[in-house]
Amino acid sequence: MERREALKRVAYLMGGAISATTMGVLFESFTVLDKSKMVNFSVSDEAILAEFAEIIIPTTSACPGAKAAGLGSFIPMMIQDCYPANLQTVFATGLKAMDDKCFTKFGKNFTTASNQEKTVIVTELRDEAIANKRTPSFFTIARDLTILGYYSSEIGCTQAREYLAIPGKYDGSAPLEPGQKAWATS
Amino acid sequence: MNINTNLKEQNTYDAIVIGSGISGGWAAKELTEKGLRVIMLERGMNIEHITDYESAMKDPWEFQHAGRMTEEQKRTHPVQKRDYPYQEANEKWWVNDLECPYTEDKRFDWYRGFHVGGKSLMWGRQSYRFSDHNFEDNKRDGHGNDWPIRYKDIAPWYDYAEKFAGISGQNEGWPLLPDGQFLPPMDLNCVEKSVKERIEKHYNRERILTIGRTANLTVPHKGRGNCQYRNLCSRGCPFGAYFSTQSSTLPAAMATKRLTVRPYSIVNHIIYDKDTKKAKGVMVIDAETNETMEFYAKIVFVNGSTLGSTFILLNSTSEAHPNGLGNGSGQLGHNLMDHHFRCGAEGTAEGFEDKYTYGRRANGIYVPRYQNYGNDKRDYLRGFGYQGGASRGNWQADVAELAFGADFKNNMSKPADHWKMGLGGFGEMLPYYDNKVYIDHSKKDKWGQPVLAIDCETKDNEAKMREDMMNDAAEMLEAAGMKNIQTYDNDYYPGMAIHEMGTARMGNDPKDSVLNKWNQMHEVSNVFVTDGSCMPSIACQNPSLTFMALTARAADYAVKELKKKNI
Repeated sequence: MERREALKRVAYLMGGAISATTMGVLFESFTVLDKSKMVNFSVSDEAILAEFAEIIIPTTSACPGAKAAGLGSFIPMMIQDCYPANLQTVFATGLKAMDDKCFTKFGKNFTTASNQEKTVIVTELRDEAIANKRTPSFFTIARDLTILGYYSSEIGCTQAREYLAIPGKYDGSAPLEPGQKAWATS
Repeated sequence: MNINTNLKEQNTYDAIVIGSGISGGWAAKELTEKGLRVIMLERGMNIEHITDYESAMKDPWEFQHAGRMTEEQKRTHPVQKRDYPYQEANEKWWVNDLECPYTEDKRFDWYRGFHVGGKSLMWGRQSYRFSDHNFEDNKRDGHGNDWPIRYKDIAPWYDYAEKFAGISGQNEGWPLLPDGQFLPPMDLNCVEKSVKERIEKHYNRERILTIGRTANLTVPHKGRGNCQYRNLCSRGCPFGAYFSTQSSTLPAAMATKRLTVRPYSIVNHIIYDKDTKKAKGVMVIDAETNETMEFYAKIVFVNGSTLGSTFILLNSTSEAHPNGLGNGSGQLGHNLMDHHFRCGAEGTAEGFEDKYTYGRRANGIYVPRYQNYGNDKRDYLRGFGYQGGASRGNWQADVAELAFGADFKNNMSKPADHWKMGLGGFGEMLPYYDNKVYIDHSKKDKWGQPVLAIDCETKDNEAKMREDMMNDAAEMLEAAGMKNIQTYDNDYYPGMAIHEMGTARMGNDPKDSVLNKWNQMHEVSNVFVTDGSCMPSIACQNPSLTFMALTARAADYAVKELKKKNI
């Protein structure tokens, strides 16, 4: 069991709900690095990504969301370090397209759009992703990275979920308390 | 001339141990405790216990890539990245594949760690004895050669190894899985307890389920702390709570003041002396400087991992041993085996919604082999066991909808609605002569050495067994009242279990085996091989405990023979 479980644990560690695309990149991606094909991100890209991530995992009464957890800089760092050049390009093109779409539709950049407007745009991207059978797109990659980054961030682990660094014992029949949060790691 | 003489004296020990993993650490401990001056040669870097486990106390948010590997790491580790063990938190344990390539005649996933402690730092820690049924299987069905030992020969050494290493587990009186000297068992969780009860009742205790027997301490043991239930073993344990060379055998060997450990020492070959018909020492390449040097000793213990040791032996050619040291039988490099796994079944448990877990148990359940025993007959030989367990994970639904927003966040932060229970088979692979390794001189590693070529595959017996590994699991989960049962086969390639064994097998007959019943080379009496390469068959149990017991037994014999001046 250990290996299968551990594989699943990796998924849990990453926050669960990881798409097949991401799992594929994790375990199968094999590309020769070609720095010339790598995408660069600007400070304004980070601002857009922070807003996007906040729509995926917003601040709620329970705890802060993805923006506060630092996803604006986490996502582009991950794209550059952990994704092959072809997916980097898909991502960067899609990021720009999202901003363009927002401007066409609402006459505003994504960062200045209202929450409601941003949600309309992200919903459209989500529907396109489902229609395209979740082939890798800006939306699928950025959503996966938001989930991964948020649930391994300090806010995600200690506020959204509950984190125990050193349990010291094992109880496999503990009562589930009302409103109990999920453990941050398994 | 004087310099050379001094150097020779300086580089002369009573015993050389090649490798510092599970079996090498045991060899060093046993030989030094019996009074020998030993040098342990490790091809990789040194790892100090605790202080060099840099990631052990890190929280999830302290890892830059949230556990993911970078494209650069994937590029330099094209083999290690094929499966989960190679992770951001433990990446330093795994070899850079570009520095030490090998040839895959057929796909073989070779996971390696070059450092003091070897795979004892990353192992799965499951520790099971082999039974007489296992030792007799080769003879019974004619595959492979007969084991030169039986359970009674190794039983006291299992006791000895377990008592020192600290194995937690439950005695069950199961004929195919002998009881042992265990520390208190870890607990089954609420779902596992229910599944155990229902399976054992349904099958009238002709199948059993027990807690995994694991080299994790459930109580303090010999100065080491007990398990803290963090489930971060593969980073190295700062509490010393699982058996490793660093936590256990190395401190014991160092305490004798007779052990020298030399990291960065790649043994290229064993030097054979045609006059004495013995090994006189080893030739080493310094992994950092590429300098070559020699070390000399009365006996050599080869513990470089199955394929590492086999490479060294195959590469140790001389006029007397043109096909590799001690390879008169032609069996060296053949009969490569690994456990085939990654198939089974999973289901959901109902009725435990008010229960959750506290703590993270780095252990699961075990269903020992029951096939082809007693009244149970199958259309294939040998059998399999199951590892698995029940858990209540995090909320996982709605992946298909690509959901997002406040409700999504709320759900993602909750435990799953149900518990899940899984059983994954670990099956025995038969010893096939044509599953083999040999030296490929067309490629060189970073240090200019030729490389190993691996030609290994599963065959019909394993394919048939895999069907049962899925179906029996589904049937048992059904009997245990699980719902939504699904079988799976996630594909298996040899090497994936990291249980490679068999390429320098023991046997009574020098014509068809490399080692005798004491793990001593038939043809070179002062060379002992006690890692996984010695195994004539592999049963379906995790093998490391057997390596520990065989190593302690061989060291005892070697020192007695040395004292009698027989070697």
